[in-house]
Amino acid sequence: MNVLESREAVRTRSASAVELTRSALDRASAINPKLNALVEIFPDEAVAQARAIDERLARNEPVGPLAGVPIALKDNICLSWGRTTCASRMLENYRSPYSATAAQRLIDAGAIIIGKANLDEFAMGSSTTRSIFGPTRNPFATDHVVGGSSGGSACAVASGIVPAALGSDTGGSIRQPAGFCNIVGYKPSYGLVSRFGLVAYASSLDQIGPFATCVADAALITSVIAGVDPLDSTSSPDAVPDLLTDLESPIANLVIGVPTQARSSANHPAVAAALELAVERFKRQGAIVIDVDLPHTSHGIAAYYLIATAEASSNLARFDGVRYSRRAKLEPGQDLMDLYCRSRAEGFGEEVQRRIMLGTHALSAGYADAYYLTALKVRRLIARDHQRAFDGGEGQPACHAILMPSSPSPAWRIGEKTADAVSEYLEDVYTVGVNLAGLPGITIPGGFTRGNDGTGGTPGLPVGVQLVGPAMRDDQLLRIARMLERAAQ
Amino acid sequence: MPEIAHVELKVGLEVHVELSTRTKMFTRAANVAHADHFDAEPNTLIDPVVLGLPGALPVMNRAAVERSVMVGLALNCRIAPMSRWDRKSYFYPDLPKNYQISQYQLPLCFDGSVELPPMSAEGKVNYAAIAEASEAGGQLARTRIGIIRAHLEEDAGKLLHEAPGGHAIEGTLADYNRAGTPLLEIVTQPDFRTSDEVVVFCRWLRDVCRFVGATEGILQRGHMRFEPNINCVLKLSDGRTVKTPIVEIKNLNSFKAVQGAIEYELREQPGRWIRDGREMTPGSKTTRGWDDARNETFVQREKEEADDYRYFLDPDLLPVVMSVEAVERIRAALPELPLVRATRYLREYGLSPKEAAALVEERDVCLMYDAAIEHGVSLGLERGRAAKLAANAILQSGAKRANERSTPERAVLVSGLGISSEQIAEIMVLRDRGEISAQSADELFGLLCEMGGEAMGASPREVATRRGMLIVRDDAALDKWCDQVIAANAKVAEDVRSGKLQAVGRLVGEAMKLAGGSADAKTVRETLLKKLGQG
Repeated sequence: MNVLESREAVRTRSASAVELTRSALDRASAINPKLNALVEIFPDEAVAQARAIDERLARNEPVGPLAGVPIALKDNICLSWGRTTCASRMLENYRSPYSATAAQRLIDAGAIIIGKANLDEFAMGSSTTRSIFGPTRNPFATDHVVGGSSGGSACAVASGIVPAALGSDTGGSIRQPAGFCNIVGYKPSYGLVSRFGLVAYASSLDQIGPFATCVADAALITSVIAGVDPLDSTSSPDAVPDLLTDLESPIANLVIGVPTQARSSANHPAVAAALELAVERFKRQGAIVIDVDLPHTSHGIAAYYLIATAEASSNLARFDGVRYSRRAKLEPGQDLMDLYCRSRAEGFGEEVQRRIMLGTHALSAGYADAYYLTALKVRRLIARDHQRAFDGGEGQPACHAILMPSSPSPAWRIGEKTADAVSEYLEDVYTVGVNLAGLPGITIPGGFTRGNDGTGGTPGLPVGVQLVGPAMRDDQLLRIARMLERAAQ
Repeated sequence: MPEIAHVELKVGLEVHVELSTRTKMFTRAANVAHADHFDAEPNTLIDPVVLGLPGALPVMNRAAVERSVMVGLALNCRIAPMSRWDRKSYFYPDLPKNYQISQYQLPLCFDGSVELPPMSAEGKVNYAAIAEASEAGGQLARTRIGIIRAHLEEDAGKLLHEAPGGHAIEGTLADYNRAGTPLLEIVTQPDFRTSDEVVVFCRWLRDVCRFVGATEGILQRGHMRFEPNINCVLKLSDGRTVKTPIVEIKNLNSFKAVQGAIEYELREQPGRWIRDGREMTPGSKTTRGWDDARNETFVQREKEEADDYRYFLDPDLLPVVMSVEAVERIRAALPELPLVRATRYLREYGLSPKEAAALVEERDVCLMYDAAIEHGVSLGLERGRAAKLAANAILQSGAKRANERSTPERAVLVSGLGISSEQIAEIMVLRDRGEISAQSADELFGLLCEMGGEAMGASPREVATRRGMLIVRDDAALDKWCDQVIAANAKVAEDVRSGKLQAVGRLVGEAMKLAGGSADAKTVRETLLKKLGQG
C-alpha cells in the first residue's frame, strides 16, 4: 500500500494504524538484516503512536492527513527519541533533545515513525557505503549500491518496508538513490522545507525531501512538511504552492527542455534510452521538447565540491569532543589540541575528513579567492543558465521543466568506487546544478538496464529520469512529473 | 645613539558592549546580560542553538540590531542599508560551534565620529566648563575621535579553571550562559593622544549605551570590555621619527585599568625601543594583559600569529536590511543623550554642574525629572521654578532614600522608589505655595515612597492633610505659639530685641516644635521678629 492507500485504509477502518505499523515492522524484521536500510527501529514507540491514532479514530476525533502512515527518517534528521547518528562514529550515541521541524510536522500529521534510515556519514557520499553501520544494499541487486547519501530511505521505500521516507538532498542525495531504486525522489525548492533539525552538511544546498512510490504520495508528504519555520531563517516566508489540488491536471502547451549536455556519450546506454523514452512520452502527450543549453554544467561538480566542502568544514567544526560527540581518551601530557585532533580523527570517517580538509583549504587565506569565491561565481552562472531556459527568449520558447537523467549510470557494485572518490563525485553531474541554483528537482522511474548487457545486475537495474523546474514553482513541477508517470503506467 | 626628544601617544580603542536584550543574539534563550538573569546558575541559559547542537539554526534578534543602530547613530555612524553575517572560525572550548557569527565584510554601523566632552582634572566630564562656555555663549574646542565601525556578533561562553569559591579542580569547567549574548564591537581610529581622552570617551560611551537602553553597563560584570591599541611616536634628537610597535591590551573592564594600562605603556614603550630597537611593522603587534594588582601589563602573545579565521558568509542567516525609514524611525526614538541633556539643564534651568551631572547619570531618573517638571508646569508652576523644585526633590529627598535602599548587589534609583513624577510635582506645588514646610515635604516624599503603605497611589495633599502636615494659616494660633516661646525664652528674646538677629533662629525652632511642623518657618520668623520690634 502506498501513502494515499494507507491513509485511506486507516480512515475507512479497513486497516488499523497498528496493523499497518506492525506490518511495516514485520517487513523490516524480515528484510532489513539483508538490506540494511534502517539503522534503528522503534517498535514500541511506533506501535504506541499508531495506537493513539486508532484510539482517536475510535472516538471519532479528527486525525491528521498522514494518520497511520508508516514513515522512515534519514538518520541525519533529529528526533527526540532514539539516536541521531549521521552514521558517524562521532555521534554514535548522540540523542537529540528535540525533533526536527519536518519530523515534528509528520508526527503532528499522524505519521508513524518506524525508524531511522542509513546514509553516507554526515550525508557525504553517493552510495550509502560510507556508514559505521555498513552499506545499504540495492533491493534490485544486493551486491550493488543503493545510491546515496539518502540510500537507507530509498531502500526502505523500494523494498516495501514503508510507503514513504524522508531524505536530504545536498547535491543529489535524494534524486540519485531514487533513480537507483525505481522510486520517486523529490528535492523541493531551497527554502520550501525547514532545515531546523537537519544536521547540516552544506547549509546553502541542503534540503529535506520525500521518497515515495508515486508522485502523488511525494506531493502529499511535502505538503505536510513544507512551509515557513520561525526557527529557520532561510525557510521561505512565501505561501507554499498548492501541490495537491491540480496535481492530476496536465499542463497545456507544455514545453520540456533537454540540455544538450545531458545527452552525453558518457551516459550508460540504459540511461540514454530512459531519457529518450521520457522524451517520447512527453511528445505523445502533446508537449514540445526542445534542446536547451546549460553551458556551465561541466563546472558544476567542481563548484559544488568547493562550496559544499567549505560549508561542511565550518558546519562540522562543532564536533570537537568538548560538549557532546565522541571524545578521545588522552594520554598524560596531551593537551587541548590533542583532544581536538584525536577526537576528530577517531570520530570522522575517511570521506568526511577528506571533505573537511578540502573545504578548510578552499576557505583559507590566499586560496579563498581562487577556490571558494570562484565557485560562488560559477554558482551564479549555473543559476543563470537554468533561468534562461525557464525564461526562454532569443527564439527559444520558455521551458516549464528541464528533463535529464538523475545520474549518468545505474547503481555500481559495492566497493567499486570506494578507492576513487572523484569517480564517485562525477556521478553527481546531473544533480548538483539543481542544488547550486536552489531549484526543485524530482526523479521518477525511467526503466531498467537489460539483465544481460554486462553492466547491470540480473534481472536489470533501475535508472531514473529527472525533471527540474523553476524555483518555488514546485506545484507545476509535480504536475509535469505526474504527466510523465501517467504516461508510463 | 640619538636621544628621544619627544614622545607622542597614539591610542585606538576596541570596545565590546554586551547588549541587555531579553534574549540572545540568535535564539530565544534568556540573555545573561539582561538584569533578570545576571546571577543565573551555570548552564541554565542554554538551548540547542546556544550549545551548537546538531541541526540547530540561528535566527537573528531584531531588537539587538535596533539597539545597536541607536548606539551607531549616537556615534554619528552611517547605517548600512544591508549588512551581513560572517562566520569567524577558530577552535576554542568556550565557542560552541567553533565559529563565531560576526560581521566582517559589511558591518551594521560604520564611518562615525565623536567629539569628546571637556574633561575635568579627574578625567570626568567637566560640566562646569560646559556651563561656563554656555554662559559665555561660546563653543568649546573638542577633540574629534573617528569611529571606524560598530558591528554585532555573539559572545563566547566562560571557562572556569577553578570551582566557584576558588576550589582547585582537575580539568576545566565550561559555562555557556554567556555564549550567544549579543555583543556590539565598536572600533575607533587611533585618534586618542592621552589616557584621559580614552577614559572620558569610555565614560561617555558607557553613559550613551546605557541611555539608549543598549546595555546595563555594569563594568564588574564585563558588560563593557575595553581593548586599547597603544603605541608611541618618538621624535629623536637627530630629527628622525620612529613609531613603536603596537601593543593591544586585552579585556580591560574598569576605567582605572584602561588608564593604568595606557599610562604604563606610555612609560615603557620608549625604553623598550631603546633596548630592542623594534619599530612598528606589519606583524610587529603584540598582545598584553593587565595585572591589576601589580599595576603593569604583561605579555600574552609575543607575535601576532598569522591568524586565519576563514571568514565566509553564514549561509544560515539572511542579510540585515535597514531601510532609510527604519533608520529614521530609530533616530526619532533616540532619547536626548546625557551630554546634550545636561547642557540643556545647565542652560535652561540654571542647575549647578553637580546637579546636572547627578541627574543625567541615569536615564530613568532624568525621565522622571523631566516628567515632574511637566506635571509641575501643568499644575501652574513656572517652568524654571518647577525645574529647581524637582531637582531638589529628586537629588535630596529622592537620592537619600534611593541610597538607603541600595545594596552592593543592586542599586535602587529614585525612579524605582514607588513615588510617581505626578506625586513629586504635587509636593513641589505644596511647597511652592508654602503649604508645607521643607521638612514636611521631605517626610511626605518618604511616605509616598512606601509601596503598599497607606500612601500608595494617594494624592500627596490628602496624605499631608491626614498627617497634619499642612501649614496652619490661623494667625491667632501662630500668635499664641510665638508669645509662648518669647515668654519661655526671655533671655534669647532680649538678645533679638537688642539687635542680635541671628538669635531668632532658636525661637523659630521652639515655635515650630509647638506647632508640630504645621507652621511655615518663614512666617514664624517674620511674626517673631515683628513681635520683638525687628520686623
